Amino acid sequence: MLNDLLYRLRALFGRAGMEAELDDELRFHFEREVEKYVKAGMSEDEARRRARMAFGGQEQMKEDCRDARGTSWLEQTVQDARYALRQLWASKTFAVTMILTLALAIGANSAIFSVVENVLIRPLAYPRADRMVRLFLSSPAFPRFPLNPWDFHDYRDRSRSFASLAAFSRSDMQLSGDTARPEMLNGFEITAGYFETLGVRPELGHEFDRSNEVPNSARQSIISDRLWRTRFGAAADIIGKKITLNAMPFTVVGVMPAGTEHPGNEYHAMAYGREVDVWSPFWFDGNPSQRGSHYIEGIGRLKDGMTVGGARAEMNTIMQQIGREHSRDNSEWQVLVVPLNEEIVGTSRPMLLVLLGAVGMVLLIACANAANLLLARAANRRRELAVRLALGAPRGRLVRQLMTESLMIALAGGALGLALAAVGVRGIVSLLPMDFPRVHDIQVSAPVFLFTLAISAGTGILFGLFPALQGSRTDPRVGLHEGGRTATGGRRQQRMRSALVVSEVTLACALLIGAGLMLRSLLNQLHLDPGFREDHVLTATMSLPSAEYKTDEQTAQFYKQLLGDLRAMPGVEAAGAGSDLPWTGWDENSSFDIEGKQPPPNEFFHGRYHAATPDYFRALGTPLVRGRFFTDADKEGAPAVVIINEALAKKYWPHEDAVGKRITFEDHPKEKDWMTVAGVVGDVKDKPGSVGAEPGFWWPHQQAQFRTMAVVARFGPGAGLGPGLGSDPRAMTDALRNEVHRLNPGLALAHVQLMDEIVEESVATPRMAFLLVGLFGGLAILLAGIGTYGVISYAVSQRTAEFGLRMALGAQRADLLRLVLGQGARLVIPGALLGLGLALGLGRVMESLIYGVSPADPLTFVSVAGLVLLVALVASYFPARRAAGADPMRALRSE
Amino acid sequence: MERIELPQGTLDLLILRTLAVGPQHGWAISERVQQVSSDVLRIQQGSLYPALHRLERRGWIKARWGTSDNNRRAKYYELTRAGKKQLEVEEESWRKLAAAVAQVLENV
Repeated sequence: MLNDLLYRLRALFGRAGMEAELDDELRFHFEREVEKYVKAGMSEDEARRRARMAFGGQEQMKEDCRDARGTSWLEQTVQDARYALRQLWASKTFAVTMILTLALAIGANSAIFSVVENVLIRPLAYPRADRMVRLFLSSPAFPRFPLNPWDFHDYRDRSRSFASLAAFSRSDMQLSGDTARPEMLNGFEITAGYFETLGVRPELGHEFDRSNEVPNSARQSIISDRLWRTRFGAAADIIGKKITLNAMPFTVVGVMPAGTEHPGNEYHAMAYGREVDVWSPFWFDGNPSQRGSHYIEGIGRLKDGMTVGGARAEMNTIMQQIGREHSRDNSEWQVLVVPLNEEIVGTSRPMLLVLLGAVGMVLLIACANAANLLLARAANRRRELAVRLALGAPRGRLVRQLMTESLMIALAGGALGLALAAVGVRGIVSLLPMDFPRVHDIQVSAPVFLFTLAISAGTGILFGLFPALQGSRTDPRVGLHEGGRTATGGRRQQRMRSALVVSEVTLACALLIGAGLMLRSLLNQLHLDPGFREDHVLTATMSLPSAEYKTDEQTAQFYKQLLGDLRAMPGVEAAGAGSDLPWTGWDENSSFDIEGKQPPPNEFFHGRYHAATPDYFRALGTPLVRGRFFTDADKEGAPAVVIINEALAKKYWPHEDAVGKRITFEDHPKEKDWMTVAGVVGDVKDKPGSVGAEPGFWWPHQQAQFRTMAVVARFGPGAGLGPGLGSDPRAMTDALRNEVHRLNPGLALAHVQLMDEIVEESVATPRMAFLLVGLFGGLAILLAGIGTYGVISYAVSQRTAEFGLRMALGAQRADLLRLVLGQGARLVIPGALLGLGLALGLGRVMESLIYGVSPADPLTFVSVAGLVLLVALVASYFPARRAAGADPMRALRSE
Repeated sequence: MERIELPQGTLDLLILRTLAVGPQHGWAISERVQQVSSDVLRIQQGSLYPALHRLERRGWIKARWGTSDNNRRAKYYELTRAGKKQLEVEEESWRKLAAAVAQVLENV
């Protein structure tokens, strides 16, 4: 075996030497043969003649020797490749056209595959990520609901499905106390074993244990590698040091390694992979028998051999037990156990698969186009192929030769495509929103490289095989005889080429319809009334440390002062603050009772709660529908009031005026516990693509203190705060920061954003999907146009004589124009019809991606059909004009 | 004398057997086979040289350039150790085959 390999290698690399040796050896043989005949008494000439006859075909023998050496396959390939290069060099326009179109199609595929590979296929960056699951509660009203801490405590004690189980809750922290500017850090409170569940060890120190979960235990924190390096100079002795978080001293007990990926969460959302800087222990405080509030999220690592279904069944059994022990009816609630990967990338899967499908169609079209060009070229190469066949080249060898050409074109296209993909991927990533799952992981990776190689080779075979088989079937007699020009043959080829163009048009049409639907859906989303006016609104979040603002009075005083100062700034029309901003993942819910109403059995009245200062709605631009906004008079001690949204009003007071009705949050309310509905505000869409709003209500900030508030300032159009904050966004941000720091220099300002940036971000994904599918559609129709042009153009060149004759017999230019345009239409109309059918068939796939438009939207279908016909018209117009310009004399003479 | 086409697979055996006597160049191999078989077997050059290349690739024979009896440069082939073993194997199976065929011809 080794000998064999060495021999082949020597034969390969010492090829010239071996050939020379073979020549010497054969010459020696020949001369001995001659000598033998001379000895036997023949004349020298006679002897040579005899020897030559005995020798037979020298070349054939040499070829057999090469075969015996076992390198002929490679040598032939090199030969074929050289020949192919010469052929392609000789027809550069053809080669460049093919390579460029393939590069575009392959590059687009590689780019999309990069996204799919890195987001959907590649395992998450945790060890054995397939064992990791997320835990939620779920009910018909709330498909994903956070857990109650004490429920979680019971799950952890009782379940046997998990190797480890942990919970976390968003808790951003304000870092101050050193010389740098105060900074709001992304933070989480976590239970013991959180990092064990993630499978990540601290690079310094250790993680929290259960002793840290006891309320009022020593304040400890674990910090990120980033924070350790940027704020603490990567000090080796950081463990045990105290840092100031929320104006309180915390002891650092651990540092997590760089790249500790956040597993993503829904509640107070932060996306997978986003940087978390500080973790602090979660305290199980309050009364273990009160299980009404839900605000932590669960994450677990399944034991080996345990399935998701098994874990879910066990958790639900435990949930029932808990219900019995606390005499609550938990039958509404299911415990949801979701594989972590599913939770992170599940929602983006349909969109990515549609993109992959769309870009695959582009590749098919490019294949059809390439096959078409090859067939056209094969027609011109009939004579060359016929000569080679006549000279005895076996048919298989010709097929191989032609395939080598196709493969070389495809691989060149693939190489160029890979370069395009590297650029394209960066473009796609820049179009994606920050919170798109795993967006930071997307790059051209090794599997993408292999994928590109595979599709390039596959493409080459796909578009090359049929033309090669066709070409090699040339009958040498016919091919040589016809001499090419007046060939009426190739009717079969022409049919094949027409079929290819029809399929190109079909696919292009379906793609364009997809793009059209996405465009309409995007426009719907952009023109949708979100329930607020996003222009000219600057927002920022801040949190008052309880160590400094000990009483509600102080908190209320701070915000009143700040908002008053902001309102006094030139250009500011309204300044308010609220517990949250639209579309940022706020999902706090509470149940309540309504005066004089009973909820249906096993149900309760509930809504999403928020808090707002008097000018919050005015600043956001949310309209008042009935009643009034809050005023400064709605303070502690004054009659309790709430503002509700239209969705809540319609849900619980469908046929009455909600204003003046009363609700309460107490089981046994006293008179002061009843809150009167003071006003009804317009609905704010729950998420950018939501049909409606979640029923919700607002407490006046002075009656329900929140330490963390989003400040909202609306500027007048004259304030130079145009879309994108006009000329200088930093000026307004700095002004806001100055106002805050004038009141308290230790406060950090986080998430400083324009409301229209939040809105932009929210449509980034559908916009990117539309842009890509639109781009693919454009590319597709361009290729289909080129294909149509090619076929019609060839047909016209074949019929020059006929057209000349027609002219001579009195046909008008317009007749010929119509004739050729009609031929184009015969290609495109069936293609367009098939494309419309295909788009209808694929409508179901699109349904989940489009908003407010039917997958069979007539406007889109009609416009696309029109566009496709227009392209066909243009593509056949140029050949048609050539036909109409046929000179009868010249055409007839050329026969 | 009537000549017989070499049955498939016997060419390798004949070459190996001829080389068992000592190193030889291609022409001498074909001459020798022809002589010893009283002109019945004749190896065509067209099959001889590809066969030599194939046997060399398998590692059964090796080649070196030497000087022929009339003082000319010639390529000599000789058996390798693996070639000797292969020769034994092929001789054995050929004898079995020949005996079996003879038996059938006589007894059926």
